[in-house]
Amino acid sequence: MIRCPGRWGVFALLILLLPPLAGAAAVGDMAPDFALPATAGGNVRLSEHRGEVVVLSFWSSRCAVCARQLAALSDLQTTYRSAGLITLAVSVDDDLLRAKQFAATHPARFPLLLDRLKGVSRAYGIDRLPTTVLIDRRGRVRFLQTDYHGSDNSYIARVRELLDDPL
Amino acid sequence: MRIGRSTWMLLLPLALLLGGQPAWADEPPAAGAPAAAAPAAAASAATPAAAAAANPATPAPEAADNAGEASTRALDEQIQDVKRQVVDLNKDLFVLEEELLFPANTQVAVFVSMDVGDFFALDSVTLKVDNREVSNYLYTPREVTALAKGGVQRLYVGNLRAGSHELVALFSGKGPKDRDYRRGASIKFEKGIGAKYLELKITDRARRQQPEFEIKDWE
Repeated sequence: MIRCPGRWGVFALLILLLPPLAGAAAVGDMAPDFALPATAGGNVRLSEHRGEVVVLSFWSSRCAVCARQLAALSDLQTTYRSAGLITLAVSVDDDLLRAKQFAATHPARFPLLLDRLKGVSRAYGIDRLPTTVLIDRRGRVRFLQTDYHGSDNSYIARVRELLDDPL
Repeated sequence: MRIGRSTWMLLLPLALLLGGQPAWADEPPAAGAPAAAAPAAAASAATPAAAAAANPATPAPEAADNAGEASTRALDEQIQDVKRQVVDLNKDLFVLEEELLFPANTQVAVFVSMDVGDFFALDSVTLKVDNREVSNYLYTPREVTALAKGGVQRLYVGNLRAGSHELVALFSGKGPKDRDYRRGASIKFEKGIGAKYLELKITDRARRQQPEFEIKDWE
């Protein structure tokens, strides 16, 4: 005899159907969508760049290495923009004025975004700076690199690999 | 009645001529071909194969091509059928999810629509229901363009008990002369049995050269 599950059974079924509870985005996961204000004005939403390769870099105005990496990413963006590369840099500064001052003194060829409430940083599990996330054209996280060494261009090779992958 | 050997020797060729080639003479279907298509393909192959056997002038590869085409068509139809089933199932699951998470007797939904937008460039909308923030949405230029073209956005869907409630909406953006603009609108409403739909409408008032924000029941 088949028993009706009752309301607790339905509740358990709903829990199973719900997506896994939040952990940080890992390689292979769909990149968590977000919308953040840019220092230059306007808002930027990640999902509007589906179909393009996205380099997502987390930085802070207090991080000296971050400044060097942003300069390198600016050159990368110039080189591969026509191939469909988009770079978004997310600031984790608590002091928005400081972040905006940093953006003014370090102009970049891509939007610098402000994550004041740290919601995006938590979604991506950011615990070190700088952290670089590569997202493919389908919106999946494909590569995650913490720290930055000027001589280490491994992520550039991966960017090329993702750009070669058609949607 | 006993049938002699000579009789069998006369009857067998006659039987073959009238009945066509036996089934075991057909080539087995290719690997991966669906079982449902195999009998149809075999049946269609048997007839041209028999015709080819009766008329040696008909080329054998033509029969094989016809069989292949029929098999491919049947397979394609099956694939399209499976796709339609998946789409229908997805639709049913979405409706079920909405009905389970937001049953009609407690559902409340808030929609945003915008007029031309000459006097106001929308940046964000914050929603509070009964003094509790339930939504804070940032608009990108593409989304604002879509709203200006007549699009309607479902900003929020949630559950509320029956009774009196208050909705407060805060609109942020750029107003006339590119100045920062922040306005609020509120509405007290009664939630009864059945879903409740509210609309946040942003319109331009040319006479005042100012935007206007209102919340009303969505019809």
